Amino acid sequence: MAYKAQYYPGATSVADNRRKHMSGDLEKLREISDEDLTAVLGHRAPGSDYPSTHPPLAEMGEPACSIREIVEATPGAKAGDRVRYVQFADSMYNAPATPYFRSYHAAINARGVDPGTLSGRQVVEARERDMEEVAKVQLETEMSCPGLSGLRGCTVHGHSLRLQEDGVMFDMLDRRRLENGTIIEDKDQVGVPIDRKVDLGKPMSEDEAAKRTTFYRIDNVSFRSDPEVIEWTQKVWELRTLYGFQPKN
Amino acid sequence: MADREVMFKRAMEIKFTEEFGTNKQSGGTIEGKTAKYLRLGIEQSPRKVEMRDAGAAIAKKRGLVAYNPNMHCAGIPLGQRALTPYMLSGTDIVCEPDDLHYVNNAAMQQMWDDIRRSCVVGLDLAHETLEKRLGKEVTPETINHYLEVVNHAMPGAAVVQEHMVETHPGLVDDCYVKVYSGDDELADEIDSQFVVNINKEFDAEQAAQIKASIGKTTWQAVHIPTIVSRTTDGAQTSRWMAMQVGMSFIAAYNMCAGEAAVADLAFSAKHAGLVSMSEMLPARRARGPNEPGGLSFGHMADIIQTSRTDKKDPAHVSLEVVGAGCMLYDQIWLGSYMSGGVGFTQYATAAYTNNVLDENTYYDVDYINDKYNGAANLGGEKAPATIETVKDIATESTIYGLENYEKYPTVLEDHFGGSQRATMLAAAAGVSTALATGNGNAGLSGWYLSMYVHKEAHGRLGFFGFDLQDQCGATNVFSYQSDEGEPLELRGANYPNYAMNVGHQGGYGGIASGAHSTRGDAFAVNPLIKLCFADSLLPFDFSQPRKEFGRGAIREFVPAGERSLIIPAK
Repeated sequence: MAYKAQYYPGATSVADNRRKHMSGDLEKLREISDEDLTAVLGHRAPGSDYPSTHPPLAEMGEPACSIREIVEATPGAKAGDRVRYVQFADSMYNAPATPYFRSYHAAINARGVDPGTLSGRQVVEARERDMEEVAKVQLETEMSCPGLSGLRGCTVHGHSLRLQEDGVMFDMLDRRRLENGTIIEDKDQVGVPIDRKVDLGKPMSEDEAAKRTTFYRIDNVSFRSDPEVIEWTQKVWELRTLYGFQPKN
Repeated sequence: MADREVMFKRAMEIKFTEEFGTNKQSGGTIEGKTAKYLRLGIEQSPRKVEMRDAGAAIAKKRGLVAYNPNMHCAGIPLGQRALTPYMLSGTDIVCEPDDLHYVNNAAMQQMWDDIRRSCVVGLDLAHETLEKRLGKEVTPETINHYLEVVNHAMPGAAVVQEHMVETHPGLVDDCYVKVYSGDDELADEIDSQFVVNINKEFDAEQAAQIKASIGKTTWQAVHIPTIVSRTTDGAQTSRWMAMQVGMSFIAAYNMCAGEAAVADLAFSAKHAGLVSMSEMLPARRARGPNEPGGLSFGHMADIIQTSRTDKKDPAHVSLEVVGAGCMLYDQIWLGSYMSGGVGFTQYATAAYTNNVLDENTYYDVDYINDKYNGAANLGGEKAPATIETVKDIATESTIYGLENYEKYPTVLEDHFGGSQRATMLAAAAGVSTALATGNGNAGLSGWYLSMYVHKEAHGRLGFFGFDLQDQCGATNVFSYQSDEGEPLELRGANYPNYAMNVGHQGGYGGIASGAHSTRGDAFAVNPLIKLCFADSLLPFDFSQPRKEFGRGAIREFVPAGERSLIIPAK
């Protein structure tokens, strides 16, 4: 019987959504062009070549190495791209993603990525074109709601703040806002103005966000209502604790 | 359990539903999920405006730019959310956020000054040397005379030589030496001005514990001048003490200043019985004794004096230790010494402001007392320190705290960073488990389970460092292999896994305290440290550190070590 990864315990919609994020089995909800993505990431001018830090691997005459033979380099590594980042902030008011599940998604489904997980933001660093691939998936699918998630390289506070009166997550650098029912972004990740208004799509309704979120909340799916997750968490803690208690001699 | 009104209610109302300064926050409820963001910048805060004007005045005076609040993000204007005040937990003091930065708060500075400038040194070895080696008679009268001499000399005055250059008493009036002894008869014969009176400062039960612990030994609590400690460093404290103690013995007992036997006295009086507040650090961190990195959590618990002034409320005892510990370890040690940063203020304040941690902890106390037959009460029979107990209490505590963040968006906004929330939740779980079991390591175990529960519930924890420390920490809780584990009371800021991570060490201090406050213990690990600070003559009141921080914030606290005597009046 072929092994089927189970990813995560739990019997609630939140646990289901966590399994989706981890597995990469995600529903695409919107389209963002490559040029628009490049613009909001802010690492290079849209349409320009990828800057590189070394020649393509094929031209470098790599040394004989069994690991290199086993592991094929990612496209970005092959081309010699710089390592660049994409960083998201996700509201605690039912944004679809949470930092750990963005990280799990990247780590499980992409190669050559270095996810960093904090409380208010989550960063993925990778060779630039590899990073863009991850960023595009995370932006275009059910992992993100443009109203409750944001690309934020710096000044990231907002994830824990009350929502604005229009239901959008607060952004102190005003990188994006609700206009005519959709979220537009006219600054890059670090707040530098860009030459266009990028349409990130319609924010999710409250009901849809509640349905798609990976965040347990007492006013939606409470953590207490998913005892399997609690028991599994306790088991991890207990086993690690007992493992450390090994008096010898 | 009976319904309870959340303890942070009033603080949240003050912060988020009432105007403070000119922030135009008014109306709404503390449960509302949306807010009107006015983006008022610094104009909403009188303190920020004062600071801006001060920066401009400095720039004008010196011809070099200074503080300018519009320098954020390469000049991108911040859409500033409301700048809201802080209420010091357990008090009704409300203050500006900036005034809880240790640079802006004289009480915080003095707390650390008072610790850094203190040491304990035994008298008995010196007395034995005087009697057996030097043939001097030691009596209560000679001890009184010596104490008079040393209280003249310790601030920096001459005793053996002529009237030479000395320190001005007006600059060093915070410096003094007192003694304490487990020998009541001897203590009675020493002039009361010199004595930390164990029977007066502690209730009968705690006094008996202390006297049984130190026996009939006698010790000096030495507090060198704040101004000296600030000009030098913590490692100077015992050296300064040693020099003045040596000279005072020579003067008080009419000794020869040069004979070889004085070397015996020097060692026995100055070094053999020395207890520093903290240990020196290894070369890679390069700090001497009496710097915060070597301060154990047990010593931190003992320095704070709430255990003797409010013994009946063990949770309060621990909360005061958490507050003091977060200020010292997070704001000063990690926030500046270790990181070179400007203080990590808002990491630390989460644990001692707005009654959020208090709410979680007192909820836990009710939960424990209901389920474990009063185990969190002073003297109550303690719950067994088992995996099952830790699992139950730490899980309930953490989920309750998480739900408060979910039910009260203003509390979530107050603790806007996951590290603040992680500190608060884990401190509540750890302290409560310690209160229930009377076991510091059980409390520490609760801390780590709390971190796991928090991470899974909210899909996030703190900054990167939390992933290291809090996800591998469970394995060292009960390990007693020397480089992996220790009783919590003996761990400290430089414990391998704790040395770099803000938002933890104050909590650990509180847990160490809780294991003992719940039993009404007189001290957590060292009675000599407890006694050293059981003294109202110190500028900082160690029985109520959170209130003292508040007094510092509203500029009511009077520190020591000021130089106004020797500089032009402004």
